[in-house]
Amino acid sequence: MMRIVIALTLLLCLLVAASLAFGDVALTWRELYHVATGTDAPGPQDAMIVFDLRLPRTLLALLVGVALATAGTISLAIMRNPLAEPGVLGINSGAAAAAMAVIVLMRDPPVVLLQVAGFSGAAAMALAVYILAWRGGTSSLRIILIGIGLSSLATAGTTFLSAFGDIGDVQRAMIWLAGSVYDANMIKVRLLALWLVIPVTLAFLASRELDVIRFGDSSARSLGQPVDRVRGGMIVLVTVLSGAAVAVSGLIGFVGLVAPHIARRLVGTASHARIFPVAALVGACLVVAADILGRIVLPPVQLPAGIVTGLVGAPFFAYLLWGRRNGRG
Amino acid sequence: MAVDKEFPVKIAGKGVDIDYGPRRIVEKLDLEIPERRFTALIGPNGSGKSTILRTFAALMKPSGGSILLDGRDVMELSTRDVARKVGVLLQGPVAPEGLTVADLVRLGRYPHRSIFGRWSPEDQDACDEALMLTGLADLSDRALDSLSGGQRQRAWIAMTLAQQGEAILLDEPTTYLDLEHQIELMNLITRLVAKHGKTVVAVLHDINQAARYAEHIVMLKDGRITAAGGPETVISSETIADVFKVKTIVIRDPVAGTPLCIPL
Amino acid sequence: MTGRRPLRRTGAEGRRWLAFTALLCLLVVVAMSAVALGTITMPFSTIAAAIFQFDGSRGHLLVTTIRLPRVIAALLAGSALAVSGAIMQAVTNNPLASPGLLGINAGAAFAVVCLMTVFGSSTGDIYIWFALLGAAAAAIVVYALGSLGTTGQSPLGLVLAGAIVATFLTSLTTAVLIFDQSTLDAVRLWTAGSVTGRTMAQARTVAPYILTGLVAALFLGRNLTALSLGADASRSLGQNPVVWRGVSIAIIILLAGGAVALAGPIGFVGLVVPHIVRMSVGIDYRWVIPFSALGGALLVVTADIAGRLVFGSQSFPVGVTIALVGAPFFLYLARTRLKAEA
Repeated sequence: MMRIVIALTLLLCLLVAASLAFGDVALTWRELYHVATGTDAPGPQDAMIVFDLRLPRTLLALLVGVALATAGTISLAIMRNPLAEPGVLGINSGAAAAAMAVIVLMRDPPVVLLQVAGFSGAAAMALAVYILAWRGGTSSLRIILIGIGLSSLATAGTTFLSAFGDIGDVQRAMIWLAGSVYDANMIKVRLLALWLVIPVTLAFLASRELDVIRFGDSSARSLGQPVDRVRGGMIVLVTVLSGAAVAVSGLIGFVGLVAPHIARRLVGTASHARIFPVAALVGACLVVAADILGRIVLPPVQLPAGIVTGLVGAPFFAYLLWGRRNGRG
Repeated sequence: MAVDKEFPVKIAGKGVDIDYGPRRIVEKLDLEIPERRFTALIGPNGSGKSTILRTFAALMKPSGGSILLDGRDVMELSTRDVARKVGVLLQGPVAPEGLTVADLVRLGRYPHRSIFGRWSPEDQDACDEALMLTGLADLSDRALDSLSGGQRQRAWIAMTLAQQGEAILLDEPTTYLDLEHQIELMNLITRLVAKHGKTVVAVLHDINQAARYAEHIVMLKDGRITAAGGPETVISSETIADVFKVKTIVIRDPVAGTPLCIPL
Repeated sequence: MTGRRPLRRTGAEGRRWLAFTALLCLLVVVAMSAVALGTITMPFSTIAAAIFQFDGSRGHLLVTTIRLPRVIAALLAGSALAVSGAIMQAVTNNPLASPGLLGINAGAAFAVVCLMTVFGSSTGDIYIWFALLGAAAAAIVVYALGSLGTTGQSPLGLVLAGAIVATFLTSLTTAVLIFDQSTLDAVRLWTAGSVTGRTMAQARTVAPYILTGLVAALFLGRNLTALSLGADASRSLGQNPVVWRGVSIAIIILLAGGAVALAGPIGFVGLVVPHIVRMSVGIDYRWVIPFSALGGALLVVTADIAGRLVFGSQSFPVGVTIALVGAPFFLYLARTRLKAEA
C-alpha cells in the first residue's frame, strides 16, 4: 500500500513537472528548476509561461482528476455495478444538455454562464433521479433504471439541438463537452480546491460505510447500516464532486470509471480507506497526463483532455486488466 | 406458546402482520424466541419462515403488530443498535470479488465502530474468536472466491459471530454444506448456545436435523404457527402430515433419543 | 410436480399469447398508419394497390419509394435493437448493458465518420457497409478482449472490455469531428438516429442479417434465461456459458449491426425496451425475445410518426422522438414496478 502510494505520488510529481515544461515553448529541466526556485535570473517570459499559464492548468487538471476519481469510487460502491460511473446518475447528460442549450440558444455565451449551466444541469438531473427513484426507500437498481430513463430524455434534447443547431455552435459545444482544462487561472484553481476539500474529506471518512453498503442492502442493513441515509448522502457527494468537475472542465469521461477499477486492482477491494487515496492519485495522473499529451501530440492544435483520456486511458486500462494478469499466468 | 419458564423471552412478535407487495404473507403472528436456546423454524416452502426471520431481524417492517427485542420495540431502536444485539445470516449472500476471509469477518465489527473509531483490541479479539470457533483461523488470508462452498458459508457465519450479538439468526445455514460440515455447524450452534449463552434461531429444511439439535421448534404453515415447543411435542406423524403433506412414522433416534421421522 | 406443468400456469401462458396477439395487431395497425399518414394522407386501398398492383402513379410511387421503405426500416431497426439489447442484458447479467456496450454504435459511427472524412459525404450507400463492418469489427474486438485470460470467465470482463473499446472509438470519432466541420455537418443527422430517406435497396441490403438474427434469437430464448442467472447457474443447468455467450454475441452483431447501418446509432431502444418487457412479462426469455421484437418495432414506428406529425418535419431524427415517447413510459414502470429490495 505505502509503496503504491509513494510510486503514484512520484509519478504525479513527474507529470506535473513535465506539464510545466512541455508546450509551445519547451523548457529544459534546468530552466524549469531555475524558474521554480527563482534562482539564476530566468527570463521573465519563462516565469510568466510557467506560473501564469501552465501551473494553473496543471493544478486544475490534477484537482479535476481527484474529483472525478473520488466520485467514481463512490458510485461504483453504492451502485454495485462495474459500469456505474457518476454518469449513471444523469450527471453527464444533464450537464451536456444544459451546456448545449446555452451555447446553441445564446450564441457565444460567457464562460461563467456555461459553467453555471453545466453544474446546474448535473445537479438538477441527479436530484431528479433521486426523487423519482425514492419510494419509501431507494434501491440501486431503481436508481440505475431511472437514471437511464432521465438521461435518455436529456440526451434526446442534446441530440435535437446538435442536429438542428448552427453548425459552428454545435462544434463549439462539442469541444466544450469533450472536456478540457484549457482556460485555467489561479482563481479557478483556488475555488475548485476549496470546493473539493469538504466532499473529498467526507468521502474518505465514510470509507467504512462504503465497505459495508457494497454487500447489498440486506446484508448492509443486517450489519446495522442505515442504508437509505448512507446512499442519499453519498449521492450528494458524487453530485457535488463531479458537478464541479464538469463545470470547470466539461465532460472528461472515463476517469471516473477507470480510476476506481485501477485502484481496486492495485490495493484490493477490501477497504475503501485504501482505495480512495490510490484512486485519487490515479485520477490526477490520468488527467494531467492527458492534458500534456493533448498539448504536444498535434501542435499547435490542442486536443481536449477528455478525448485523450479515452484514447490513451482505454488501451492502458485494457493492458492493466489483461496484459498483467495473463503475464502472470 | 409453550415456552420454558426458566428461559426469558429474547425476541417476541406480537400480532405481527407481514405483507409482500399486495399479498399478506403472515397475519397476526405471536411468536416468542426463548433466550439462550436454539430455536428452529421449520415448514414447507412458502410457509413464511424466511420472511418471519427477516422481520424478526428488523430487516423488513411489519405492516402491523410489533417485534420486541429484550422487551423494546425494534422500530424504536436504530438499525445499528439492533445489529449490535442480533447477527443475521441470510440465504446466498454475495461478497464483492477479491475479499479475504479476514476482510469479511472484520466487517462484522461495523456496528460497534463509530466513524472516527479506530480498530481496537476488542475488535481484533472478536474476529479472532469468530475465526477460531468456525475453524477458519488458518484460512483467514485466503480469498473468499478460492474457498469451497462449505468454507465460504462458515466465513459468513464467522462474520455474524464477530458481531457479538446475543442473538444470531440464520436462514437455512446448512443448505450448501456436505454432511460433515452440516454436523460441524450444528455442533457449533449447540456450543454457542450452551457455552457462550447465545440465542440462536435458524430456518432449517431438514426436520430431523431440527429435531436432533434444536431445543425449541416452531412449525409453520401458510404464515401461521401450527405447533411450537420441544421436539417431542412438535414432531409427530400427525403434525408432519398436516404441514408437509407427507406420511411418516416418528421413532426415537437410537443415538440421541430425539424424535426421528421416516417418510413412508 | 416435476415433469408436467402445473395447470394454473396455462392461464398465464394464455394471457401472454393474448397480449402477444394484441400487440402484434396494434403493430400492424400502427405500421399501416405510418404508411398512410403524412403531408398527403393515403387511404389504405391506395397502399394495398401500390403494393400489389403498382401502376407508377405519383401516389403509388410515394408509397413504394418513400413511405414503405421508411416504415420497413423503422420496423427492422426497432425489433433488432430491442432484441439485441435483451440478449446483451442476459449475457452480461447487467441492467446497464445495451448493444452499444459491445462497441457496435461506436464502431459503426467511427467507420462512417472515417469514410466521410476521407471521401466526402456523397458516397451513396457504401456507408451502410462501412457501418456494418465497423460495428462487427468493434464487437469482435470486444468479445476477443473480453474472453482473454481469467477476467474473461466472468461477464465483468466483457462489460469492461466493451466500455474500453466504446470509449476509445468514441474519443477517436469526437477527435475527428471537432476538427472537421463538414463531416460533422454530414453525419450529425445520422448519429442522432434517423430513418428519413431510406430506400428499399438499403432495407434489402440489411434485412437478411436482421431477419436471420431475429429467428436465431427466438431459438436462443430458453438458453438465455439460464444464462441471465449467471455463469454458475448456467453451468449447473448443463450449459457451457462461454459457448452460449459467443453464440449470443454473434446474433447481437447481426441484429444491432444491421440496425445501426440502417438507422444510425440509436441507444435508447436496446437499453430500455428489454427492461419494459421484463417488467411487464417477467424474466422468461422465451417470452422476452418476441415481446422485445414487437415492442421495439412499435416504439420506433410510433416515434417516427410522432416526429413527422407533431413536429411536422420529415427529417426530424427518430432517435430524439424515441426517447420522448418511450422515456416517460419507462420511468413510470421503473418507479412503480420495482420493489424496494432489488
